[in-house]
Amino acid sequence: MTGKRVSAPGAAAFALCALSLATGAQAAPITFNTALPVAVGRFIFREQFLRMEAGGDPTPARRSLRASAAVSVLAWGATPDLALFGILPYLDKRLELDTGAGRVARSSGGGFGDFTLLGRYTAYRYDGAGVNFRVAPFAGVQMPSGDDARRDGMGALPRPLQPGTGAWDPVVGVASTYQTLRYELDGQFRYQANTAADGFRFGDVAELDGSVQYRLWPWHLGAGLPAFVYGVLEFNLVHQARNEAGGVPDPDSGGTTLALAPGLQYVTRKWILEAAVQVPVAQNLNGTALRGDYTVRAGFRVNF
Amino acid sequence: MNRLRSAFATVLLAGLAGGAVTTPLSAAPATPVPLPLYRVHVEGLACPFCAYGIEKKLSRLPGVRKVHTDLRSETVTVTMKPGATLKAGEVRKAVRAAGFTLKGFEPAGTKR
Repeated sequence: MTGKRVSAPGAAAFALCALSLATGAQAAPITFNTALPVAVGRFIFREQFLRMEAGGDPTPARRSLRASAAVSVLAWGATPDLALFGILPYLDKRLELDTGAGRVARSSGGGFGDFTLLGRYTAYRYDGAGVNFRVAPFAGVQMPSGDDARRDGMGALPRPLQPGTGAWDPVVGVASTYQTLRYELDGQFRYQANTAADGFRFGDVAELDGSVQYRLWPWHLGAGLPAFVYGVLEFNLVHQARNEAGGVPDPDSGGTTLALAPGLQYVTRKWILEAAVQVPVAQNLNGTALRGDYTVRAGFRVNF
Repeated sequence: MNRLRSAFATVLLAGLAGGAVTTPLSAAPATPVPLPLYRVHVEGLACPFCAYGIEKKLSRLPGVRKVHTDLRSETVTVTMKPGATLKAGEVRKAVRAAGFTLKGFEPAGTKR
């Protein structure tokens, strides 16, 4: 095993990408964004807590990665068609591995990650009786606001363990929503073009996501504005290219993961409670990159 | 002067009794003022969380006293202050600002 492989947790593509997915603020998907509108001048705040684990290391180092995150999202309606999103994660990543001196743990400690600013524009809108359909491209940038120079007793932490990336990373994509009173379908394509910072570059990330939400309660819609319970099933297809250090691709990073995420949402006019468990069902990872085990997500959204 | 003192005492007692006693100072019983109602039809409204934005936008319009959404019929019933009227341009703008489409609206009588 090379020193590089010991110090870096490999790709853990699913693991690290999973932390960046919770961007939506309206009702709808739990693991990605929606095309539903944000009223002009109104705010929606979303907080989502995540806990993920990755392991399955085939090397003698028996690496395992745990990460906890609290992702805060503030959405603001600028015009009837334009909404702005500010996304700030708080992260704590911990890598354990076997070394000649026994099993050691390397941790970033808690810290704010990179801030992302997104603008989403509703390019197509159809409103009918009890139904709506929207297509909304979005674009933004992840800014190097998080600390990317953390150290522990073994020296500088490897880049994937740092709270921040140190890089300016553009993000583009498109979200689409078809919503009825009984069910809702959402889809998203998202691409993040990661740039280099201090000689290190995370591989670009492409994601294709889908979500089905079905109203379980009340089964028969009564008068007024009742709260809804949605059963949710989502999929996330995530591909990350290899990381590069000094211009050299890391053969043990990047790959493709398909995850399913069953969940529940309790939706009122003022707030939403939600939870989902994201489980990889297929992983095609490069080299000895760590395999995602699961991600648990729980959170709330508030209209104000 | 004695009649004034007597009236004052009566009002004070009525206040202490929780307002249950009608004061002799009110010459006639209050007549409820009719409040105009409108029914606003919104297209695209399909979940409770989305209704919040429409309610906020409509409740900010001049003369609006209260709004109530019925999701199943996609209507928002707007209760106005006495004598106030809902204007088409303002309603259309408010619903659009919430991100949805106004199908139409009509007076729906009054509420006392």
